[in-house]
Amino acid sequence: MTTLATRRQAGPGGSTESRPARSGASSVGRPGFAWALPATIFFALFALVPLAAVAVLSFTSWSGLGDPEFVGFENWETLVADPVMLKSLWLSLLFIVLGVVTQTPLSILLGVWAAGHQRNRAVLSAIYFIPLLLSSAAISVLWRALLDPNFGLPGQLPWLFGDGNLLGTQAGAIGVLIFVGMWQFTPFHTLIYQGAAKGIPTVLYQAASIDGAGTVRQFFSITLPQLRNTAITSIILMVVGGLTTFETVLILTNGGPGTDTTITAFYMYQEAFQSFDFGVGSAIALVLVVVATLISLVVVKVSGYDKMNSSLEGL
Amino acid sequence: MNNRTWMSRGLAGTAVMMLGLTLAGCGGGGGDASSRPENELHVAVYGDASNKVEEAMVAKFNETSDVKVVLDTIPGADYQTKLQTIIDTDSAPDVFFNWGGGSIANFVKADLLLPLDDFIEEDPKLKDAFLPSVFETAEIDGKSYGVPMRGTQPVMLFSNSEVLKQAGIDAPPATWDELLEDVERLKAAGVTPIALGGADQWPTQMWFQYVFDRVAGEGLFQAALDGDTEVWDSEESREALGKLRELIDAGAFGTNFDSVKFTDGGSPTLLSSGRAGFELMGSWAYATHLDADPEFAENVLSYSEFPEIEGGKGDPHNLAGNTNNFYSVHKDTRYPEEAAEFLKLMYSDEFVQEQIAIGNLPTTTNTEEFLDEASNPEYAKYQFDLVKDAPNFQLSWDQAYPPEATVTIHTAVSQFFSGQIDEDGFIKAMQGL
Repeated sequence: MTTLATRRQAGPGGSTESRPARSGASSVGRPGFAWALPATIFFALFALVPLAAVAVLSFTSWSGLGDPEFVGFENWETLVADPVMLKSLWLSLLFIVLGVVTQTPLSILLGVWAAGHQRNRAVLSAIYFIPLLLSSAAISVLWRALLDPNFGLPGQLPWLFGDGNLLGTQAGAIGVLIFVGMWQFTPFHTLIYQGAAKGIPTVLYQAASIDGAGTVRQFFSITLPQLRNTAITSIILMVVGGLTTFETVLILTNGGPGTDTTITAFYMYQEAFQSFDFGVGSAIALVLVVVATLISLVVVKVSGYDKMNSSLEGL
Repeated sequence: MNNRTWMSRGLAGTAVMMLGLTLAGCGGGGGDASSRPENELHVAVYGDASNKVEEAMVAKFNETSDVKVVLDTIPGADYQTKLQTIIDTDSAPDVFFNWGGGSIANFVKADLLLPLDDFIEEDPKLKDAFLPSVFETAEIDGKSYGVPMRGTQPVMLFSNSEVLKQAGIDAPPATWDELLEDVERLKAAGVTPIALGGADQWPTQMWFQYVFDRVAGEGLFQAALDGDTEVWDSEESREALGKLRELIDAGAFGTNFDSVKFTDGGSPTLLSSGRAGFELMGSWAYATHLDADPEFAENVLSYSEFPEIEGGKGDPHNLAGNTNNFYSVHKDTRYPEEAAEFLKLMYSDEFVQEQIAIGNLPTTTNTEEFLDEASNPEYAKYQFDLVKDAPNFQLSWDQAYPPEATVTIHTAVSQFFSGQIDEDGFIKAMQGL
C-alpha cells in the first residue's frame, strides 16, 4: 500500500522526487498514532477485550455460577463431535448464499430504478424503505402472525400453502427465514445501490446513447460495472448479517423444526443462555469469528477490493 | 516499522491487563452481606399479570418495616436467563421467584441458597400452612428451600363442548381407547381432533408427561431424574412412546401443529373457534380464554383429567404440570429476619384472597375457605380438589431437570412428534441428559 501510494504521488517525475514530498507532508502534521488513540481504545475495550475473554472462556466450564473452571480442550472436543454444530455451520452457509442470491439482484434493480429523478419514484422509495425502520423483533412477530397456518395467509390460500405447515418443515422454515430476511434487508441494500447509481456520471450514459446503446445495454455495460465496488460492500454486509442472523430465527422458528434452522449464531445463544454452558457457547462464538474473518478475507481477495481501484479512473 | 511493533505491544499489554480486570470482576462472585444495599430487601419476580398482587403485598409489608422491600419484576421470557446471570453477583436478589425442583437445584449445589428450616422451626406455619405435595417440590436433600407463592398450575384436558356434541361425543374421554375413538369421530366431523402448539415445544412435552405417568407410574421419571438413564430404554418407556405414536399416526393433532403456537394465541383460538375438539394445557388456559373470549370460557369450555391408560401402572388421578411457584432466599441476604417476615405473608388470608381474585390458585390449607370468591368458583374448586387428591403431582419435565436440559428435552419431544426421530432416537436423546 505504501509503495503504491508513493508511486502515484511520484507521478511521471520519477521516484527521486517522491521522498521529499512525503517528508514534507508529515511536517505539516500527518496524523500520528495519537490520532488513532481514541478509536483504538474503544476498539480494544469493546472488541478485543471481550474477544480475548471469550477465547479464555472457551477453555472453561462455566454456568454463570461460581468461578469458571479450566477444562482444557474439552469444549472443543465436544464441538468437533457435535452433529448439531456441523449442521449449524452448513445451515449458516446456506443462509448466506440464499440471502445474497435473493437480495442482491432485487436491490440492484430497485436501487437503480429508485435512482431516477421522477417524483413518483421518491414517494414509492420512501414506502419501500419502511421495513428498514422496523426492529427485527417486530418484523419477526409480524410475519409469524401473517404466516399462522390457521388464521394467517396460508389458511386463506390453501391452494398455495397446502396445510400451511410452513414452519414445521425444513424447506418451509428456511424459505420463510430467507423471505423475511429479504423483506427486511433489501431496502437497506437498495439504499446503498441507489446512492451509488446516482453517483454514476451522466456523461457515460450520454456517450452510450450516441453509440446507440439501449436501456438494457446501458444497464449491463455501464451501470453494473460502475456498481462493482458497491456490490462488494453490500455483499460483505449481507455475509456478515447472514452469519449473525438471530432474532428472526429465535422468534419465527426457535431453531426448529428440531434443529433444522439452528444456525451457528442461534446455537451459540442456545448453548450459552438457554443451556447455561458459557464454555461451549464461547467456543461457538470463536468459531463464528474465525469463519466470518475467513469469509471476509476471501471476498476481499477474490473481488480485488483490497486494491481499491476507482471505477471512475480516467474520467 | 518500529512504531507498529510498539503499537501492537502496547495493545497486547492493554488487552491482557483489561482481561485480568474483567476476569477478576466476574470471578469474584457473590460476596458478603455488607456489600449489599442498606435497608433494602430485593425481591425478584417473574413479570406478568400477577404482579399486582405482589405489589400489594410489598406495599403492605413496607408499611410496618424499616427495611423496605423493593420488587424487581423481570419480563417473563427472560426470567431464568437474567436470574442465572445475576444470582452469583452483588446484584443478586435477596428473595426470588422460581419453580422449585430443577430450577433451583444448581443454586443449591453452588451453595447460594439459604435453607429455610430455621425459619420453619420458628414459625411452623411456613410449612404446615401449605399442601404437602406442593411444598415438597422445593425440598432438596431433605432441606426446604422454597415457600409456595402464586398458584398451582396442573395440566388438564380442555375441550370445546359444542364441538364434541356435534361429533356425537357426550363426555370427555375417561380412557385412552375412548380418546382414540373421539379422535376418529372428530376427524369425521371435519375438525382437528386435538389442538397442539407444537412450535412452543413445551405443549408437546405435556403429552409425554402424562402418557409416561399413566403407563409407567411416577417412578420411571423419578428414576431417570435420579440418574438411572436405563429406564428410558425399559419396556414401559417403549410402550408409552408406542401409545403416543399411535395417537399421532391417527392424525389426532392434524399435520401443521409444528407451525402453531400457544403463546401467540394460535392453539387456544383453534379450540375456541370450534376448529379443534381438545387441547391439553395448563390451568392458565382458562384465564387465556377468559381474556380472549369470555362467552366461550364461561359457557362452552370444558375440562377433565387426563384419561386413564388401561393396564398402566400410574394412578389415573396423578397430575403433571407446574406444582407451584416458590420464593427462595439468597444465602448472602443482609436481612434474613425481614425475609422470613415477608415470606409469612404468603399464607395470609389477604394474600390467598387476592390471588384467587385474579384467577390464581394458591395451595395453602386455608385456600378452600375462599374458593367461592373466585371468578369461576366451580373451576377453582375442581382444580383445587384435583391437586388435593392427587397421589402424585409430577413437576413439568423441563422444570424438574436443571435448565441446561431444557433444549435437549424440547428438541426430543418435538422431533418425536414430527417423526424426525423414532423411539430409539428419543430414548438416546433422553439418555444423553
